[in-house]
Amino acid sequence: MRDRNIFLIVLAFVVIGPFVQPKVIITEMLIFGIVAVANNIMIGYTGMLSFGQAMFFGIGAYVAGLLLKAGMPLIVALPVGTLFVLVLSIAVGYFCVQRTGLYFICITFAFNQMFYFIAYSWTGLTGGEDGLPGIPRPSLLLDPVAFYVFVAVVFLACLVAMKRIVDSPLGLICQTIRENPSRAAAVGYNVKLYKLTAFTIASTFTGLAGTVYAMLYGIVPIDQIHWLKSGDFIFMTLLGGTGNFFGPIMGAVGYIWMSETFSLYWARWPLIMGIVFVVVVLYLRGGIVELIGKVYGSIQRAREAP
Amino acid sequence: MSFLILSQILNGFATGMLYALVGVGLTLVLGVLNLPNFAHGTLFAFGAYFTYTVANLTDSFYLGVLIGPLLVVLIGFVIESQGVRRLYAAHHDYQLLFLFAIALILQETVILIWGPVGFSLLPPKFLAGAVDLGFTVYPKYRLALILFTATIVVALYLMLTRTNVGAILRAGIENREMVKVLGININKVFLFTFGLGAYLAGLAGGLATPIWGLTPTMGFDILPISFVIVVVAGLGSILGAIAAGILIGLAQSLTTIWWPEAANVVIYLIMGLTIILRPQGLFGSR
Amino acid sequence: MAGLLECHALSKNFDAVAAVVDVNLEVTEGSVHSIIGPNGAGKTTFFNLISGEVPPTAGRVYFKGRDITGLPSHQIPHVGIARCFQRTNIFPKLTVFENVWVAMFSRSNSGALDFIKRVSDFGEIGDKTREIISELGLEEKLTERAETLSHGQQRALEVAIALAGAPTLILLDEPTQGLAPEATQQMTQLIQRLAGRYTILLIEHKMHVVMAISHWISVMHFGQIIAEGGPDEIRQNEAVQKAYLGGRR
Repeated sequence: MRDRNIFLIVLAFVVIGPFVQPKVIITEMLIFGIVAVANNIMIGYTGMLSFGQAMFFGIGAYVAGLLLKAGMPLIVALPVGTLFVLVLSIAVGYFCVQRTGLYFICITFAFNQMFYFIAYSWTGLTGGEDGLPGIPRPSLLLDPVAFYVFVAVVFLACLVAMKRIVDSPLGLICQTIRENPSRAAAVGYNVKLYKLTAFTIASTFTGLAGTVYAMLYGIVPIDQIHWLKSGDFIFMTLLGGTGNFFGPIMGAVGYIWMSETFSLYWARWPLIMGIVFVVVVLYLRGGIVELIGKVYGSIQRAREAP
Repeated sequence: MSFLILSQILNGFATGMLYALVGVGLTLVLGVLNLPNFAHGTLFAFGAYFTYTVANLTDSFYLGVLIGPLLVVLIGFVIESQGVRRLYAAHHDYQLLFLFAIALILQETVILIWGPVGFSLLPPKFLAGAVDLGFTVYPKYRLALILFTATIVVALYLMLTRTNVGAILRAGIENREMVKVLGININKVFLFTFGLGAYLAGLAGGLATPIWGLTPTMGFDILPISFVIVVVAGLGSILGAIAAGILIGLAQSLTTIWWPEAANVVIYLIMGLTIILRPQGLFGSR
Repeated sequence: MAGLLECHALSKNFDAVAAVVDVNLEVTEGSVHSIIGPNGAGKTTFFNLISGEVPPTAGRVYFKGRDITGLPSHQIPHVGIARCFQRTNIFPKLTVFENVWVAMFSRSNSGALDFIKRVSDFGEIGDKTREIISELGLEEKLTERAETLSHGQQRALEVAIALAGAPTLILLDEPTQGLAPEATQQMTQLIQRLAGRYTILLIEHKMHVVMAISHWISVMHFGQIIAEGGPDEIRQNEAVQKAYLGGRR
């Protein structure tokens, strides 16, 4: 029942958020919230750290953006973009799961940069360095409120779907792989296959978030496929906390809030973000989830004390 | 056409030797400290910028290449002793995030100090101009670079295989517990290794300036390449890193002849092929 | 008479070191078959060859007449062989229930459709899981994380995970290692209880345990089987006394 309570808090955020902050910012928080929760299926549940998730976000955004520009309706562009990422992530993931640990990180990282270079060089298709501009929104979603409602529905649907996945036997199998891969094999699970499954699921949701992002500003900047973005995704996930399914949402919200705030004041704002990352690594390893737990715990103790 | 190919092979060697330096540095840190050093690229950039500044202040490119990389070692020492050392017990995810954060901080610092616009640095007078090799006229500096880096790489290899320090480092890659058991101060080994890795990145950055010039993003550009080198080489293999660096440099510059746009993608093709055909890497044992 | 498990000339070399040399072994269905021998005799490596952790250099392994040599480790449970490891090998951050459940699900899931259900939707698997956990005396720890259990309880959990795979043959690698005398006795009784229902291949160092529960004993020394027989035969065998018993007593 605790999960249900957290879900209600998330729901409250989705409803109240746009009245407190600009809609675009909340929209970004929701889009990257999907990414961070998906990322946690790998990091938190399966114990795989991919440094290449921006490639799936970016490619999802490019494919959906191109289809929308070609006049395809939303109902085609988003599913095709997501499906494209699904197939691609199986292919890329096949290579990546052959190795574990540091090697896995290196390979995902390198693949990310490969797709970045393809996007960078293939200017005719992607607009290269300038990004892919002029992506139209379907007329139904032209109104900012309508678009926000659409993103909110996608966000909540993704959340429910991913929650269902981690509550299924697959979620438990992923955790056994995180805890003890050789034992998981010894009770009869094909570890590489399940890792590939986790990789594909996480990447597909990331790609889906990318397809929605393409419509947010009507442009896909090339940064969205750069490996720096992959690092940001990891930060969002760890900032929120990997120990809880919903934790990474807070990470995404915190990250977007900080980057929006800092970038208003200083062009070199990534430097501040870097410092925040360091602080989190050195002092806040359990993420916001743990921080809340600690604060809550000390309030309880203060109450109990005579 | 064959002239073009031959001079591109030379270019490939020049690039490849620089890659080898960067790759060996990353391999050492990865192997001994078990850390994916995401700040390696920005150390490369700092090497270039320090070399540039020292060369301008002293009016000597040689002094720049001598002193610049040593300043990078100081940065490396600070990162290791003040940050990385506190994180050995922490989960990999956090070590990685920490180094990523350091990369961001250093990258922005480059822009803060030297500005967002790139520079170029001329090679010293003695190495300026070109020399006629019979089949092609080739820039002197690049020839000198190939010879110099080859010397460094050989010296490094001898140090790692023939000296006590090298034996400790290799033991650290093979089995970290063993080094501890032998009563060696592991903190010193880690500090030294991180410093050496930083030096190699910085040196490569300094030597690269007359060819590639200086841009604030140069560190972020070389980082993925150095990770590819490690994957192709086999995790922790010094010899592999040298070979993979040269291989990738050659592949890149030969691709430039026929399909320049693909030059940056071909290195990932090599990585993909390596993973299929020899998943442990060219020189990896497991 | 064909054995449930048969090893023919099984060998394993690590570089120049021969860990297992030309081992022929037959495990009779329904028996408790122990492998004893000094440390480093190659017993655990021998288990690893059967359970697919490492491929053999030479030789074949047959189970129920089927050649299972070199099958990857994740397929071994599905032919009906479960394994308990020498070092406690569980899923520390998962609950006791989850540890056992996941092993049970591995053998009983009926395809892709099972993956869209929730873990809590599998009534029958959940019931059987609780049954096994109770049998091993861990019912009070059902929702505790495995890492919080005592060493003895973790060894019991290890056995529970093996039983959850509904095996025909169980490979037990030193189940009493590190256990206090009382816990050792409980484990011995447990193995005796299991003996009727499963075939057990056991590696064990504690001689009183081995002699009490084994029907058949193979003695391994430097990777080779140097003697075989019932408990009484082995007790009197000179080569065994020299290699093993003599050295220890």
